[in-house]
Amino acid sequence: MNRLWLALTSVIFLLLLAISPWAVAMRAFGGKGVLITIWGTLDLYGHARAMPDVSWLGYFTVFWVVLALVAAALAFVPNAKSRARYYYILGLVGLAVFALEAFLFYHAVWAANDAAVAAGARRPPLKRYSLSLGAYASLLYSLLLLMIGRLQLPGGRALLVRWRGVVVPVVSMLLAMVAGAVVVWILRDVKLPEHASLLNYYTAKLDLVTYTFQLLFGPLLTASGWFQSLLIATPLIFTGLAVAFGFQAGLFNIGAPGQLTIGAIMAMLVGVHLASAHWFAGLPYGVARAIFLPLSILAAAAGGALWGAIPGWLKARYGAHEVINTIMMNYIAASVFLFMIASNEYTFFGKWTLHMPFKFPGYEGRSYEVAQSARIPLMVNLFGFHQDASGAWTGSLSWALPLALVALVVAYVLLKRLEMGKRLLLALGASVVGYFIGGFLPGIPMHLSSRLASVRLNGAFIIAAFAVAFYNYYMWRTRDGYELRAVGLAPKAAEYGGISIAKKTILAMAISGALAGLAATHYVLGGGIDEYRLKQSLPTNVGFDGIAVALLGQNTPIGVFLSALLFGVLSTGGLQLDLQLGISRELVMMLQALIVLFIAAGGFLPRYFTDPILAAQAEEGVQGVL
Amino acid sequence: MSLATLFTAAFLVPLFQTTLRSTTILLLTALGGMFSERSGVVNIALEGMIIFGALTAAVSAQLLEAPYVAKHPGIHIWWIPWVAVLLAMIVGGFIGWIHAVVSIKYKADQIISGTAINLLAAGLPSLVLVYFYDNATNSAEVTNRLPQWFGFSPLVYLAFALVPITWYVMFKTPWGLRLRSVGEHPEAADTMGINVFRTRYTAVIISGMLAGLAGAYLSIGLLNQFVRNMSAGQGFIALAALIFGKWHPLGVLGSTLLFGFAKALAIQLGGSDIMPPTIIEAFPFVITMLVLAGFVGTSRPPKAIGKPYEK
Repeated sequence: MNRLWLALTSVIFLLLLAISPWAVAMRAFGGKGVLITIWGTLDLYGHARAMPDVSWLGYFTVFWVVLALVAAALAFVPNAKSRARYYYILGLVGLAVFALEAFLFYHAVWAANDAAVAAGARRPPLKRYSLSLGAYASLLYSLLLLMIGRLQLPGGRALLVRWRGVVVPVVSMLLAMVAGAVVVWILRDVKLPEHASLLNYYTAKLDLVTYTFQLLFGPLLTASGWFQSLLIATPLIFTGLAVAFGFQAGLFNIGAPGQLTIGAIMAMLVGVHLASAHWFAGLPYGVARAIFLPLSILAAAAGGALWGAIPGWLKARYGAHEVINTIMMNYIAASVFLFMIASNEYTFFGKWTLHMPFKFPGYEGRSYEVAQSARIPLMVNLFGFHQDASGAWTGSLSWALPLALVALVVAYVLLKRLEMGKRLLLALGASVVGYFIGGFLPGIPMHLSSRLASVRLNGAFIIAAFAVAFYNYYMWRTRDGYELRAVGLAPKAAEYGGISIAKKTILAMAISGALAGLAATHYVLGGGIDEYRLKQSLPTNVGFDGIAVALLGQNTPIGVFLSALLFGVLSTGGLQLDLQLGISRELVMMLQALIVLFIAAGGFLPRYFTDPILAAQAEEGVQGVL
Repeated sequence: MSLATLFTAAFLVPLFQTTLRSTTILLLTALGGMFSERSGVVNIALEGMIIFGALTAAVSAQLLEAPYVAKHPGIHIWWIPWVAVLLAMIVGGFIGWIHAVVSIKYKADQIISGTAINLLAAGLPSLVLVYFYDNATNSAEVTNRLPQWFGFSPLVYLAFALVPITWYVMFKTPWGLRLRSVGEHPEAADTMGINVFRTRYTAVIISGMLAGLAGAYLSIGLLNQFVRNMSAGQGFIALAALIFGKWHPLGVLGSTLLFGFAKALAIQLGGSDIMPPTIIEAFPFVITMLVLAGFVGTSRPPKAIGKPYEK
């Protein structure tokens, strides 16, 4: 079986090497590129003015073919230990050769650009150059050889099973990407030069697929891309944590959209109507801020908690399934939302009229503006920059946030001896002190690019980071969290242990709802929908995306954070995809859905990866499981 | 608008017609969902299946008629909508099959699998629409819609006719008995020689086909094109109606009529000063929650629902 798989992957690798573009020398906006394959150049752009010198590529191709053949032959070495050693060597050599290839390629491109500029070109002719699928395939193949080496040794597969929390999501994601590639292959046509062969057609198609994923992951390469990705990730972190929290307690909270909506309404009520009520008009700004900013954040959490606790209570008291109830609560929340924000006047039975103060006059359904005192500042403000009257961004990078972070970490590490609660409290105190000290230090004068400043990443991201820390602390460091997980894993055993399932269910749903509700801080208080208002266009769907985030992150805090970031990156890249290739951004939604589907199916991996009991047996080395 | 106008023919006749039309979608979907859930597979993917059915019907009808319409604009060809309906059922059944494979063969959590299909239904249609029409939100308009028989689409009659048929199949045939036994006690059914997996596969595929049919009614029966997210939660309402109707065809008929009436009322009262439509629209959801909690009658689900069967 093992040998068959190895032979198959080697053949696939060689095929990819033969068909796909190895690198792209240059690319125009819109995707047309000058492709370098192992057979020569395929110019889809039409009038390339300069070419890097890649005459060495042929030797490397021979190397990879030999490598693949040797790897296939090695499967017949009888001794497992020496087999493993040979695979390690092959893999390491492959990695080194790949690094050399990459270095040579980029060097050749820069040399060609320099030569063109020296010859009088106004700007470097080669743009958007990169390695492509053929090169990536050799990198992946080398890594695969290393993994195969580890698998030869005893306990190799048990190691994979131990890492199933990473293996299953990664395999599911790769499968989803393959499915996405097939969709792109079908959807978009390529334009070929005349007299192009069938091989050229496949090369061009594979280039299109590769470029699609390069665009999707492109935001990772720029600072503003990271900012934008974090911006999109912020609400996903909240809703992902909400769903993950429910899963840990054995509950499936599909109600994050509704909890988010009610949280947003509560934040609006406090942030708009309470904070600008005339009783508080006399308060100095600082005092008002100290009261209303925390209060409106708490209101968002409370609104979500209420909307989560109701289905929790219905389940605990009447045994009604939380999935149906949370779905119903989503629609009820949507109705309440629409009722409040779409109109200010309703007449009942033609007689009684209800007047409400929530909708801002005008065609669009939106609330009044959030009071200044209740707004969450933008991250660029927190870093010490501000916009002057002409709209330019000036200021200097303040030490406040970095010092706060450093103080937090240092205090947390140094106070190891203290009890957890005190340790956290003191660490938080240290970070506040660090914040103020940093605020008084002179900052570093810096120029802020307008592209970076235009990203509206706001302080809600910091709240999200705290929510991740809270989830980690509460679930794995407190008694309540332990009991919640016990209820999730084995409800009957937990009940015999003296835990009240009813109470835990309500509590878990309330906290889960509160986390979802906090996502509203980003949208309403942080101005996440372009204005500091609650708008009818509130994207409640992020509540459903939270399910994908929680599943991909396997309900761990760091996993939720990373998968939210991944979806943020993909969504940001999706924008470029739309602009450059005309492929609808919904490709990203499709990828998300497929990831959920494949993870639900355990990545189509053998049962001992997905079944907890079988997995435990596999880890222990029980005979006959693997 | 005074209360008296509510009791005139000008208000009641369209109310009655709209009720039947909105009930049809819910009824078809809920009856399909009944097969799946009675066999022990939760089908939260009904919403997505409706959307895929609606998409298939509209796109296939439009593509089939395109060469004829190009020659003679406005031409009516009787077989096109029926082929489109058939294709919608096949695609719906295919989506059901995916749900079945993931949740029966790979023993996934059925709710997660269903959620994934719903997420897929939110994204994939746009890609298809861009491919065919260069437009991410709606398809081109279809000339050859389903015909009208005495003011209603044939699928309306079919939906109501399916109630006694489903009742007969479910409670009077050996196959129906097997289906129910698989949902109540799969181990016992297995011992009696019933193929649990095959029964569940069939049931989930039937549920997908009926939801696809409902989608076809939505896109080429009620309207003449596919619009993104046109189902707007009706799959979930159908699921609620299924629970409210206690997983019984007659109960489902009653609950879908009630929910269809609520929807029709919300549409008819839109813009009037009797009652804000948002409140009426929320009514089915509140009712379902009350039913689930046992305030308004009790509703007992099939015993083995939601549990993957381990042989």
